Amino acid sequence: MIGSVYTETVVHLAPEAFAKDVPYQVVIVTLEDGTRVTGRVAGDRVTIGDLVERVEVRDGVPFFLKASS
Amino acid sequence: MRPVAVIAAGKTRFGAFPDRDLRSLAVEAGEKCLKNGHVSPSQVEAFYLGNFAGPSFTGQNHLAPYISTALGIRDVPATRFEAACASSGSAFFHAFSAVASGLYDCVMVAGVEKMTSQPTARVTEILAGAGDCSGEIKAGSTFPSLFAMIARRHMYQFGTTREQLAAVAVKNHANGALNPDAHMRKVITMDQALNGRPVAEPLGVFDCSLISDGAAAVIMAPLDRARDFTNKPVRILGVAQASDFVALDQKPDITTFPAVRRAAQKAYEMAGVGPQDIQFAEVHDCFTIAEIVAIEDLGFIERGLGGPWSQSGHTARTGEKPVNASGGLKSKGHPVGATGVAQICDLFAQIRCEAGDMQLKRNSLGLAQNLGGSGASCVVSILGNV
Repeated sequence: MIGSVYTETVVHLAPEAFAKDVPYQVVIVTLEDGTRVTGRVAGDRVTIGDLVERVEVRDGVPFFLKASS
Repeated sequence: MRPVAVIAAGKTRFGAFPDRDLRSLAVEAGEKCLKNGHVSPSQVEAFYLGNFAGPSFTGQNHLAPYISTALGIRDVPATRFEAACASSGSAFFHAFSAVASGLYDCVMVAGVEKMTSQPTARVTEILAGAGDCSGEIKAGSTFPSLFAMIARRHMYQFGTTREQLAAVAVKNHANGALNPDAHMRKVITMDQALNGRPVAEPLGVFDCSLISDGAAAVIMAPLDRARDFTNKPVRILGVAQASDFVALDQKPDITTFPAVRRAAQKAYEMAGVGPQDIQFAEVHDCFTIAEIVAIEDLGFIERGLGGPWSQSGHTARTGEKPVNASGGLKSKGHPVGATGVAQICDLFAQIRCEAGDMQLKRNSLGLAQNLGGSGASCVVSILGNV
């Protein structure tokens, strides 16, 4: 599943459940069908407009990686 | 609908009060309010409470009668309203509707939150409950991160800068330093605002409002009875509530909040005024970017220009449209459930020329904007001289 980064942030202050992941990047991705989904970035940081690919779904959360162009 | 006025107001200081519980804060605000309007508890015909997460923060539920009875308000309907950070704005809107329709002649609206009894990580978790827990929150979003993503997009679409965000924080801290009831009465420099500890990029700690304890209360009555209580009633010219998706990823464009635009439009229509007529405003600056989006959605300035307009001083105390002369949520503090009614208290004090060092010269028509979550609820109120 491919999409483009609509917006993103790197979280530094997180609830206990995510404290071990800090800092981590959250993204809203616009998918090919135009719908949007909130997920996490699995690898290097991405910025708005980057093409990303869903590489994994963990507990219902999609993880994205910058797509190789 | 008949005309309605606010006849009394009272609030606690905002801050971190380890020795105070939720009820004692609400009772302090309620008692100050009763005294301010020379109203006896037996005259109050209904009690409306705004509270976001009392049960999560304190373990106590069933809060409205828990507080109203402690104020000596007995037998009458006592109900809690929850709309995230717009909880007491929503209580205010529903109380207005009941008084305007003729159901009651004297009601109290209070708001309260006791937040500092929990560590910051737990507070962050409780606040995240105002988002969509099945999607964005499960992915690790926090409230700062939702607004950080709004900021990123606003920067991308309109060229808004970090300095423009920081200018909002600098202004609101300068205003809050004049407010004896503010949580953080501290002036900050642009340099400090830009270099705060990162919370969710691009937002740093100085872009975020405070975790506070506090309460606020007002009493409203029909205008034709208002002078039985006070010779300085403040008219509620317009008030409206609107709603939208809870999840940020369901909104077509996250740089504007349709619920704010709809509530504002209705409130302006009801009041028979436009954004250009508003002389001052208290807006929901839970994050610096939220103030910039708010002044755009309220129509004070064209879309996309909120950043430069803020930075060039138009929203300062001395500017053409003072915004958050109280210090806003940023400096005054943000006890979530108290914020909406506290904004009404600030308007009430300004319009009655009782705002002390915060007093503005152009003070006869004010607007309050109270936002819930990342824009899923909004209440806009317009108050003015009778």
